[in-house]
Amino acid sequence: MSKIYKNYTAYFIFVVPALLLYITFYLIPLFNSLRYSFTDWNGINDPVYTGFGNFAKALADEKFWVAFKNNAYFVGFSVFIQVPLIIFISIIVSGVKRFLGFYKLTVFLPSILSTASVSIIWKFIYAPEAGLLNQVLRTIGLDSWVKIWLGDEAYAIFAVLVTNGWQWTGFYIVLILAAIFAISKEVLEAGEIDGATGWTKARLLTIPLIRPVIGVTLLLSVTGAMKALDIVLIMTKGGPFGSTELMATYMYKQAYSMNDFGYANAIAIVITLFTALVTLGLQFFNNRSKEDAY
Amino acid sequence: MNNKPKRRILPHVILMAYVLSVLYPLWFVVVSSMKNNTEMFNDPWGLPPSWNLTNYASVLSNSLVIRNFMNSMFIGLIATVTTILLSTAIAYALTRMKFKSLNRIVYGLLLLSLLIPPASLLIPLYTMIQELGLYNTYFALIIPYAAFGIPLTVFVVSAFLKSIPLELEEAGVMDGLTTYGILLRVIIPLTMPTLVTVFILNFINNWNEYIMASLFLSSQELRTMPVAVVAFADKFNMNYGALTASIAISIFPVILMYSFFQKSIIEGVTAGSVKG
Amino acid sequence: MKKQSLLLAITALVALAGCSEKNAETTEKAIASSTTEVSKPASSDPFKMVLRHIHIRETALPTLKLLEEVVQKTEEEVPGLKFTLDGVEDTVNRNVKLKAEMASGTQPPIFSLFGGADTQNYSKAGRLLALNDIMAEVGIQDSFFDLREFTVDGKIYGLPESGYIEGFFYNKKLFADAGVEVPTTWDDLLVAMEKLKAKGITPLAMGAGGGDGWVANMLVNNLMIALGGPSLQEGFASGATKWTDPAVVETFKRVADLVDKKYIDPNVLGLAFAEGQATFYTGKAAMLFDGSWAVNAIIGDTSVVKDSTGFFRFPDVDGAGDGYINGGWSNGYGFSADLKDNELQAVKAFIKNFYTLDNQARILGETNQIPAMKGITEVKGASELITMIGKQQGSAKGAYPAFDAFVQTSVKVELETIVQELLGGKIKPEAAAERMQKAQESANAEGK
Repeated sequence: MSKIYKNYTAYFIFVVPALLLYITFYLIPLFNSLRYSFTDWNGINDPVYTGFGNFAKALADEKFWVAFKNNAYFVGFSVFIQVPLIIFISIIVSGVKRFLGFYKLTVFLPSILSTASVSIIWKFIYAPEAGLLNQVLRTIGLDSWVKIWLGDEAYAIFAVLVTNGWQWTGFYIVLILAAIFAISKEVLEAGEIDGATGWTKARLLTIPLIRPVIGVTLLLSVTGAMKALDIVLIMTKGGPFGSTELMATYMYKQAYSMNDFGYANAIAIVITLFTALVTLGLQFFNNRSKEDAY
Repeated sequence: MNNKPKRRILPHVILMAYVLSVLYPLWFVVVSSMKNNTEMFNDPWGLPPSWNLTNYASVLSNSLVIRNFMNSMFIGLIATVTTILLSTAIAYALTRMKFKSLNRIVYGLLLLSLLIPPASLLIPLYTMIQELGLYNTYFALIIPYAAFGIPLTVFVVSAFLKSIPLELEEAGVMDGLTTYGILLRVIIPLTMPTLVTVFILNFINNWNEYIMASLFLSSQELRTMPVAVVAFADKFNMNYGALTASIAISIFPVILMYSFFQKSIIEGVTAGSVKG
Repeated sequence: MKKQSLLLAITALVALAGCSEKNAETTEKAIASSTTEVSKPASSDPFKMVLRHIHIRETALPTLKLLEEVVQKTEEEVPGLKFTLDGVEDTVNRNVKLKAEMASGTQPPIFSLFGGADTQNYSKAGRLLALNDIMAEVGIQDSFFDLREFTVDGKIYGLPESGYIEGFFYNKKLFADAGVEVPTTWDDLLVAMEKLKAKGITPLAMGAGGGDGWVANMLVNNLMIALGGPSLQEGFASGATKWTDPAVVETFKRVADLVDKKYIDPNVLGLAFAEGQATFYTGKAAMLFDGSWAVNAIIGDTSVVKDSTGFFRFPDVDGAGDGYINGGWSNGYGFSADLKDNELQAVKAFIKNFYTLDNQARILGETNQIPAMKGITEVKGASELITMIGKQQGSAKGAYPAFDAFVQTSVKVELETIVQELLGGKIKPEAAAERMQKAQESANAEGK
């Protein structure tokens, strides 16, 4: 066994091509972005070195912190609402036999749509007059709950959060489902003989067995929340008055509409650092709460 | 076997509620694709006044739509297959092979990708694509798509491999399989459901990708579907009917593909199962 | 592939034939005279040129067709030339693609270009071809309405393809129902709005939510200039005028007043630009303040107001800017400074063929856009509405460009934010003016 798994040639063949591709198209551009973060650069003329000026500017920029707060909402939403919901739905789906195919198909549908399409649909859900949400509220007599969802800074960011959740929940459900279905029958049957059924089975058997995949789901959804960009860019562009700005949209605007590429790259680096911190925290909890392979 | 009817219905009630929240917004795409702008704004969620397919006709009559569609298929499939092959190999090496410190470095490098906001890479990438002479070729998208899919795929596949017991591979070694043999004969068949899942996920990402597609290609003949769909969204003169019709056209094949593949996510696992 | 090389061979043959003929006749005019002896043999070799345009949408088909015809004509005139049309979505081109190309100096020879800040930055980087000589050669140096947005230090770096003016579109039927006349003064406008509101009609449609704060800024810009005169906005960047000047504060007050009285659609922040437009063309609101680009949506097949829409320019406010109209000619074509001789020839031929009165009349007639060149007398097929807009333009004292031609991008973005806050009732007019001035000062200090 150990000889098989200590094969240098095989390791080289398995790792190098993928890594090369990844480094060329991911890390080298990242390195460039790091270089520009220390400069004042409008994207056209020659960059001028400014040291840590851009980073200082970001830390003192109120608008950046509004964006940071919104990212925190995104992360909180995925950890405390979305991921538990994903696990809950996955376990229910894995337990049914009738309509299984139907559920697996429909649950996944929102993730098939591009973000642009999702945004168009949800804009018509939140539309002030003819929008679905307000129509439903009026029909059931909750007129006082009717809001201009995307135009009110108290609700807009949450409206976007729900949309984002709607789009991606199915994606992760399918991921977790695949993990549940990959658990060997014998293990589950053995558990059933011991009398574990329903939620007891889920808690004692299924969830521990799919822990690595839940870990990945958490990792992906949290890092996704830190980097979230296109949903806001298309739905609200950060408006009304900057209340739905995210760190990544703020970065995007600094680069592509304000021509401040130095500052934009500095923000990109700050996002990377924050995400690294969150990820480390996540790994820490992951490792502490029971065994993990890494 | 648990035969309490309540137990059997409750899951369906919950799931149906969830499914409704998923399907109803999609219903909007269907009904609006048969409306004109005025009908749309007056009653966005209602049934169309007539079952009118002119929006579909006008989208399909655009001579390049079929071509764009095939481009998306071609680029998406090649890039996705490349991602899956490379990532499975790397995930196998990382979770199974005994190179502890090297594995950690590679894994760490890949982890870095999760932290980077991809939008910050656009301009450096664009310059690179031009310098490499890939600009305005299929490879201008295939290679970055393949590269961008790698980290996520490696994480997911590794996570699955970690939950597969080593015994099966040991049996393979007994049968005289090599490192490659175990990957092909043991690991890949075992992880098939996962591979199909990540295949679908990657394919959808590639299928929907817009910014790189509009940046790295210039000729109309090479354009992909998302770029073509934008042709129906003129900010100053929005045609919502044609837009939703083009959305419907662009998601239909993916739904078809998914419903075809999703069976294999469970086949062979639940067949003859007595769970309940 | 085969077909293409065959085509190339044929064009090369034709070109050769054309060339020898020309030699026999001894030098023709325009094109031949400008090329040097050395480059002459090269000019008959086949060469390809990229032309970057932004007419990729369904609604831009007539514009694209016009461009294709010009391209074909130019290819016929310039030996060996073959254009590659490269259509890119406008914001992608403007914000990312062209920018990256300009940074690395790999811009295409002919490209869609915006006036204002873009033109200034690119010309400073030495990427843009100055067109003054070519224009004189082609004889169009005095043909344009306004080239200010493409002019840097007296040199012209781009030529607009069409223009726009801003003003009020109004629903004639709803006006008649409410017994309202077309207002010529701000007070008339307020009276009209009150009457409409009393009838239960939303007076002014507007969608300025999300990233569409610019929609409200059109109104702010017009009111500000009407009160303070066109020179007001020219002085912000130099400090000669301030956002705290009475004209601006008064503007913010009046906009806040329109919001308070619910003259502006109360849903304004929940609607995107296109949705605000839809409020008007589905007949739910009596007026829409918009640019002339809105004509196509308003007279579209399904619009309920297509036969009953009129247009009036910004009413008089008894201020220094009365009678001026906001209009601009800011999108058009620019040309690379880095051209070979044969490419330069092609650029000249393109300019000569594209910027003609015939084409301008077609732009007006077929696409309902304000022409960029003067002297169009009669247009076939122009809609009644665009004709009306043209008359309003003609009756104005003069035109001024949108304020963002004179201030830094960060100031423009700040105004979008602040005006959204004003629309949401989150900020007082005086405080808004002060915050604007603060943003202006910090932008001036940064010197960008």
